[in-house]
Amino acid sequence: MKLPRLNLREQPLPGGQPLAFGIGLAIALFVGTLLLLGAGHDPVKIYSRMFEASLGDPDAWSITFNRAVPLGLAGLAVAVAGSMGLWNIGAEGQIMAGAIAAAWVARIGGDWPGLILILMMLISAIGGGAILAIGPALARAKLGVNEIITTLMLNEVAIRLVQWLIHGPWKDPDSFNFPLAPMLPDQARLPTLFSRAHFGLLIAAAVIVVASVAVRYTAWGYELRIAGSSEATARYSGISLPTKVLTVLVLSGAIAGLAGGVELAGTADRITETISNGFGFAGIIVAALALMRPSGVAAVALLFGAVQIGGQSIQTLGVSSSVSTILQAFVLFGAIGAGVFSRYTVSFGNDSLPVNEEATS
Amino acid sequence: MNEASLIGLLFATVSFGALLYLAALGELLAEKAGVLNLGVEGMMAIGAVTAFIAGVEFRNPWLALVIAMLSGALLASVHGFFTVGLGAEQVVSGLSLTILGLGLAAYLGKDYVGLPPGAELVPVEWGSLSELPWVGPILFSHAPIVYLALAFGIAASLILSRTRLGLALRAAGESASSTDSAGHSVLGLRLSAVAVGGALAGASGAYLTLSITPQWAEGLTAGRGWIAVALVIFGAWRPSRVGWGALLFGGTLALKTRLQTFGVDFSPIILSMLPYVLTLLILLIISIQARKRPSPAPAALGLAYRREER
Repeated sequence: MKLPRLNLREQPLPGGQPLAFGIGLAIALFVGTLLLLGAGHDPVKIYSRMFEASLGDPDAWSITFNRAVPLGLAGLAVAVAGSMGLWNIGAEGQIMAGAIAAAWVARIGGDWPGLILILMMLISAIGGGAILAIGPALARAKLGVNEIITTLMLNEVAIRLVQWLIHGPWKDPDSFNFPLAPMLPDQARLPTLFSRAHFGLLIAAAVIVVASVAVRYTAWGYELRIAGSSEATARYSGISLPTKVLTVLVLSGAIAGLAGGVELAGTADRITETISNGFGFAGIIVAALALMRPSGVAAVALLFGAVQIGGQSIQTLGVSSSVSTILQAFVLFGAIGAGVFSRYTVSFGNDSLPVNEEATS
Repeated sequence: MNEASLIGLLFATVSFGALLYLAALGELLAEKAGVLNLGVEGMMAIGAVTAFIAGVEFRNPWLALVIAMLSGALLASVHGFFTVGLGAEQVVSGLSLTILGLGLAAYLGKDYVGLPPGAELVPVEWGSLSELPWVGPILFSHAPIVYLALAFGIAASLILSRTRLGLALRAAGESASSTDSAGHSVLGLRLSAVAVGGALAGASGAYLTLSITPQWAEGLTAGRGWIAVALVIFGAWRPSRVGWGALLFGGTLALKTRLQTFGVDFSPIILSMLPYVLTLLILLIISIQARKRPSPAPAALGLAYRREER
């Protein structure tokens, strides 16, 4: 029987991943056009509005930057773990843990000077994310427990922790019995860079650069990538895998925690149960589109942030938010599919065992 | 706590248990074949919305259930195409499927929010069984889909442990290349397991909108798909254990809204953490035991199979 077959390319297509993202975007635009026409909207008007709102002027850029910050940090968290072949699905929960820790500091340090307060908030956010990652990290390093499931479960625990806090101990007495935490003090807010872009942009950029250099150019990062590509090789070269797994997963959690702290101090008024807003899950996708390379995370996060902000903006034109959700999903699947084809070629051969490679080359 | 409210709690335990069991069974089948599908929440949402729409349009609950199962299978096949067909990362594709399913469900259902249901699955009449004290109202007064869930569970258990098909399916999840060598199509087995898994998740969603709720609203599935993913691990990939786990987790869902009426001063939010915390504990126990005996997890779970690369 003639079946299409995938053959691994010797080298991935150069520029394959940006191309994949572009193809994903094109597929999403096509499907989106159908959805919009189906709902009786003018696609040209909607798309130009999306572009205007996300990339049209400095104000739009600043909003997109603010969205790219948590996406980029969450993506970096996943990518650092991914460099070693580990899946941190728990960024969503670690972001919330980071936000909880930062909000706690803001509660007790309401009268501290601004710089110290913000520094302490961010440091404890890092700690909060790391603490939520320690369990899965230890379980994976010492017992070989699959980290995908443990980190996934802790997401659900962390969101309930936030809910419990704002329904109980942290409920604002002045909120007329609504489950709301009190507003953050003014000095707990990150300074503004331009328009609405906050200082978190520089924090995220710095962390991404440092992590990229560490993974790409240091001995530590080299060992990490060795361990990611082959456990056996790592063991022969004397790399202690359990220690590596432990440090990398905790570091990943710490970066996600920082994302939570930055998001709280940068864009949120107070801690809410939507503080993470799916950034942790989106981070997995950002990291995957960046092929788990920390250096690729920033660009993907910016593009993905623009898609999200553009999608939100068209709600004011009466387009259901579900259209933007579906568009995102199609960008993802389009990119996943195109990403596969940048690494494989398709041939229509016999559905039989492969021909010996030496004979074909 | 009086008798009526205790009966109400136990009835709801069975009801939520069946809801979780359907979705978890589907995930179990896919995972047994080697495919992790983190899109359960999205498939449940699609099942829920298509069942509700079909109910309103065709006024037949059984047709609505079938449509929901087909829709769930169709959505799951997107995951099947990308992960089994193209060998894409299962985690990434599954999470994307959740996003797609929730988005599509909201899009399709936006004109149906708050409408009265067009069709409902009414409780089965079991004659004198339904009249028995305690047992009658708790076990024999449910919608037919609850008994279907039990039947699916028994069928899945028998098929997996007693038939050649089940053996081939498990083999595909343990070692794809040897399954291939034995002349079975790994692709076919995995794609079918993923599609059937989607159909069961769709049925689970349909139970929400055809009986439990029975209305459509965005976010109706409320994270129960994630509980189903947890259940498969909690039940160590065995249909019977997953069934008992479903009752336990269903119990926490049923108790959550009743704590106050029982006068228990305990946060329902903390209670709702229980399924996840229990699953983490079980996972730890499994791993500690795994030093002495083999892990119950399918060995090839999460791994793509390409014949050319083996």
